[in-house]
Amino acid sequence: MNGRRRLSLFWKRRARRIVLPIGGLVITGLMLLPIYFTIESSLAPSSSFQALSQSLVPSHFVFSNYRLAFGQERGSIVTSLLIALGAVVLSVGIALPAAYGLTKLGYLKNRAIVSVAIIVLLVTQMVPGISLTLAFYKLFFHLHLLNSIPGLILADSTNGMPFAALVLRAYMGSIPAELSDAAYVDGASEWRTFRSVIAPIAVPGIVTAGLFVFLFAWGDFLYAYTLTAGGNVTPLTKGILTFFTNNTVNWGGVLATVVLAAIPSGLILSFGQRYVMGGLRAGALKG
Amino acid sequence: MRAKVGANEALALARPAANGHDTPERSADPASPARRAGLWHWLRSHRRQATLIAFVVPALTYVILFFAYPLIYGFTMSVEKIGFIAQSGPYIGLHNYKVEINDPVTREALTNTAIFLVTSLFFQFTIGLGIASYFSRRFFLSGFLRSLIIIPWLFPPIASGTIFAIMFAGQGGIIDETLQSLHLISSPIFWFDSSFKAMFVIIFVNIWIGIPFNAVLLYSGLQDIPTEMWEASALDGASAWQRFRYITVPLLRPVSLIVIMLGIIYTVKTFDLVIVLTNGGPDNGSQLMSTWAYTLAFQNFQTSQGAAVANMLFLFCMIVAFFYIRATRREVVLA
Repeated sequence: MNGRRRLSLFWKRRARRIVLPIGGLVITGLMLLPIYFTIESSLAPSSSFQALSQSLVPSHFVFSNYRLAFGQERGSIVTSLLIALGAVVLSVGIALPAAYGLTKLGYLKNRAIVSVAIIVLLVTQMVPGISLTLAFYKLFFHLHLLNSIPGLILADSTNGMPFAALVLRAYMGSIPAELSDAAYVDGASEWRTFRSVIAPIAVPGIVTAGLFVFLFAWGDFLYAYTLTAGGNVTPLTKGILTFFTNNTVNWGGVLATVVLAAIPSGLILSFGQRYVMGGLRAGALKG
Repeated sequence: MRAKVGANEALALARPAANGHDTPERSADPASPARRAGLWHWLRSHRRQATLIAFVVPALTYVILFFAYPLIYGFTMSVEKIGFIAQSGPYIGLHNYKVEINDPVTREALTNTAIFLVTSLFFQFTIGLGIASYFSRRFFLSGFLRSLIIIPWLFPPIASGTIFAIMFAGQGGIIDETLQSLHLISSPIFWFDSSFKAMFVIIFVNIWIGIPFNAVLLYSGLQDIPTEMWEASALDGASAWQRFRYITVPLLRPVSLIVIMLGIIYTVKTFDLVIVLTNGGPDNGSQLMSTWAYTLAFQNFQTSQGAAVANMLFLFCMIVAFFYIRATRREVVLA
């Protein structure tokens, strides 16, 4: 009895070792099927597009779709990069000192100020962009910020700044208070403590916050669509839409543009994954 | 102000126990040796606080200029009668709200948003939970596959929307061709010619985008449940279902609440997907509140009505925000 049970346990373990990874592969494969389809179609000759669904791997790879996409959307890629980098600088530049101030105020027992500030930051993340962009349009119209990269940097930071502040504050909360206290006892000013002690230690948190702000601004469509109407500043997200709606034949080219738009996400997933996971947890769960 | 803080200080001195429960690093405040010299300490700590508040001022300014002001402006626009370019117009009270609530398209957008919200959340959460619990068992490649699953969430939504717009295309689209080659359908389905099918596609794509977010957060919630609890209950003879029902469900509740509330916010804000997949059509049949507000303000040039619809959406988000803050208030207060 005992022996048979042990034997069945052995087979159960062995089956688990094989079945679990296969199931995992199937789940992941199903989730990523649309992305596989996109990459495959972008590399296939566009004329054979309709036959693609019958073959899982294209007979030969071509880069004509990418040449077309890059030729068409080169300007948009540069615009989007400038906007996303600008949003990172603005958002982190504002959020980093704020996170420092809030963390230290927390140590000084000013809990009320800190709680109110955190609640405000959480609430701002929940404001739908459409409720802001109507006012932005009118405002930017009179400030001549419509169809401009600075205007989009300012608007896109509404997604990034509160998130960056929350992630950075959560990160700084994990830095032992003794560190800045020691600097304080040694006579360093708050600014100097911030600049020379805390900010260097907070680099991983800054990277996390920066990555998210970049992704938010890079992927923004709402502000790109509403605040550039009729102008020549076209971020990549808006470029994809115009390319897609104006071009109903060459889907290969459109899908190549989609792949180009997804490159930052891919890079971040390959090199900055732990930052993404950390940020996702800190931003959502640790408030 | 000065007297008030002084009084608080005296209170704190009189009741050292009140500070007794503070964590060690907090009482390691370098100012504490000076606590006996009340006024000097107060001045010093007050100056420190003023300096620290200065660190927060840029963020505060940004929030006032780019959140508070636009929201107030959006409210004034909704109670005025204004055209597209003008900054303000005559006050007409809640007229725009009344017009919009009685507009059949607004009602349809409201119903669509509700259906979109409930179905998206239900499937995102259940599928996400399924994936999270599957991957919470360690096996060969589990870490690697788990990290791949997050990809759809990192994609720009407009990119995901474009992919599916092409996949769902009625002629030459991979989904129709696959269904046809499997003989499940005999002629192509035109996914975007009825409001029901259009909504189905939008919801389908949004579920796909939202699964990774749910899976990642629920996975980390599952990791926080000590494995001993399952092992002990398994030894006591609890079935897999009982373990799920009486251990996983209650212990996963706090994380689930947060995931669902964030999901509500993300879902109700959805804009990109609708624009690229259906542009609200056919015949406004797949408008959500967000896209309807956009259409009113930017395409029909009815700024005030658009603002009214946008503010209804904002109000809903603030109600959810209230419950979110309440659910996470322990973390917020202990900041």
